[in-house]
Amino acid sequence: MASSQPGTGVSGLARLRSALPFTSRDWGLLLVAPGVLLFSSFMLYPIFYLFYISLTDATFAGSVIGGGAELIGLANYVQLIGDSQFWTSMTTTWLFVAVSLVLKVILAVGIALLLNHVRVAGKRYMRAAVIVPLGFPGIFTITVWRGMFSDARFGVFNTILGRYNDIMASLSAPQALLFDVPIGFLSGRWEAFFAYVTTEVWLAYPFMVIIIVSALQDVPRSLHEAAMVDGAGALQRFRTVTLPAIKGPVLFASILTAATSFQQFLIPWVFNQGGPSRQNELIIVYGYREAITFNQFGLSAAILIVGISFVGLFMYVAVRYGGLAEGVGDE
Amino acid sequence: MTPLDSAAALVASVAALVRSKLTAFATAPKRLSVLIRRAVYDVRTGKRSSWDVTKSVLMTAFGLAMVLVLLFPLFWITTASLAEGTRLFNTSGIFPDPSTYNLDAYRWVIFESDFFFVDGDWGYPQLVLGGSGGLVSFRWAGTETGPGAVFNSLYIVSVTLAAGFGMIVPAAYAFSRRQFVGRKRILYGYVLFTQIGAGLSIATLVALYSLFSSYGLTNNLFVLGLFYAASAIPFNTWLLKTYMDNIPVSYEEAAMVDGASFLETIREVIIPLTKPGLAVVLIFVWLAGWNEFIIAQTLLRPENYPLSVELYNIATEGRFSTPWTRFAAFANLFALPVAIVYFAAQRSVEDGLSFGGMEG
Repeated sequence: MASSQPGTGVSGLARLRSALPFTSRDWGLLLVAPGVLLFSSFMLYPIFYLFYISLTDATFAGSVIGGGAELIGLANYVQLIGDSQFWTSMTTTWLFVAVSLVLKVILAVGIALLLNHVRVAGKRYMRAAVIVPLGFPGIFTITVWRGMFSDARFGVFNTILGRYNDIMASLSAPQALLFDVPIGFLSGRWEAFFAYVTTEVWLAYPFMVIIIVSALQDVPRSLHEAAMVDGAGALQRFRTVTLPAIKGPVLFASILTAATSFQQFLIPWVFNQGGPSRQNELIIVYGYREAITFNQFGLSAAILIVGISFVGLFMYVAVRYGGLAEGVGDE
Repeated sequence: MTPLDSAAALVASVAALVRSKLTAFATAPKRLSVLIRRAVYDVRTGKRSSWDVTKSVLMTAFGLAMVLVLLFPLFWITTASLAEGTRLFNTSGIFPDPSTYNLDAYRWVIFESDFFFVDGDWGYPQLVLGGSGGLVSFRWAGTETGPGAVFNSLYIVSVTLAAGFGMIVPAAYAFSRRQFVGRKRILYGYVLFTQIGAGLSIATLVALYSLFSSYGLTNNLFVLGLFYAASAIPFNTWLLKTYMDNIPVSYEEAAMVDGASFLETIREVIIPLTKPGLAVVLIFVWLAGWNEFIIAQTLLRPENYPLSVELYNIATEGRFSTPWTRFAAFANLFALPVAIVYFAAQRSVEDGLSFGGMEG
């Protein structure tokens, strides 16, 4: 690197450098080491420790600390494979990731296209406004959504659906178009799942919008104009000009938000603790409850290790195929 | 530059930023009216057809409607926070009656909840000379119950920021500008961990709790702050590194040719040019310490709860009967400072996010 030669003045750092045991080329490692050390001790070490717990029959924190737990090999993992609750949780988690991802992409592309359109006045202000959800803490927004999805007759969505019913009824619409209010958004399995997905989409779209908008703004206007001159319609222009420009960023953002959806904990936990009757426990909630509610630390650790492996897989795919680590190599 | 000068410069630049935002906001109606008048003029003189203008108006209206729908939850909760003492879910509709708006919920947060002081019993800091706390220490006077959750939160965040910045900035510089043993490997490791901060810490909670207990580190705000800093390191180091990659090396070389020492180069070239990136990292690291509550709730005892845990406790006081007005007021006071900073730095955040994401 060209900048590795400091000026002629002998700085304190240069003197320090000559006293170090590495070659001068490697002193950058010193700047990186504290972060790596802190990260490893608080993040990597617990993961390995979690793996160790997953191989024991620990039941509660005391048995882990006090040494009362014994190594039982892969028994916890074997137990998981035969556990129907595990498979329910896995299926629900993957379904949650898939459904919310599709909706997220559609919504975010729609918003980004609209708020980047020449005909929309004040789009800069609107763009600033739509990404506001990113600025609020999750516990706040998720609790607000729980309030809106309230089971109560006068909960926000039930009220809105009631109004909708009134309007449709006054138009003498067929019974099939009406809703059966109040809907128990948090007490039915699929109703709760729907509520989770809606909230997840709302939480994640700002990130996607930001990434897509910045990709859209890199498309030169002349490309659109050229396509228009060639007589391409709006749909055709979307396919030939816009889509190639946003495909990469959308893929990239999809993998990342899918990874975060996969670890979603707060939504199910705050809404109804993964209920009703444990049917909507996403994987992390499942693992957490096994430990906290049922005192099954060993089993819980095994569940969480499975969850972490899947997340690791996501990130590996992102790095391998999403070009996430393009900057790692030498420029 | 002395620290005082740089503090003054910081205040001045923040003031300039706020002023420019306010000006832009205040002149928006004027610009809108100019836009409308020009459209009317264009139609009159036949430059644009009226259908063309209608299309624009419809698109804008559609955009506005969409923004309103998306922000509906935040609007709802803000109106809710103004309606202490009225029943929120009732026959009259979703929104409380504006004639009943009051600030009682905010009064409750400030003077009765544990937000600032336990049970809202306000005190003030008092310097103590001599005594058991060393030469000069300070304690809280005028309060029977002691300082509240906001001080715990601020303490955690200060540790997170100090540790985070101290480790992220030098590391990002080294990754961006230096070659060293294991550089690629560490960077790959960081990239793998970029997106899995929060979920991962919940996943490892079982192990964390056991480890913290066995080392006697539970109920320790300082260690918790360090923990949050650790969780923020991979993403923010990567973010800042990609940001620095976009600063041409030739600037540093030029400074060095002019005889600047290494540290001078850092201070005069790298830091000023990285400011937007640093702003983003500041926000993200702050959020890492400010928002998390599950780990905090598990590791701390009630007297050390930060604001996020208090907020969660209000939200779940009764499983189906959240005291909405108080919750909303508490949450607004909790989130608003961050939201304002976030808004002010929005441009940088957008740039930072798209940098961290897309650029190499």
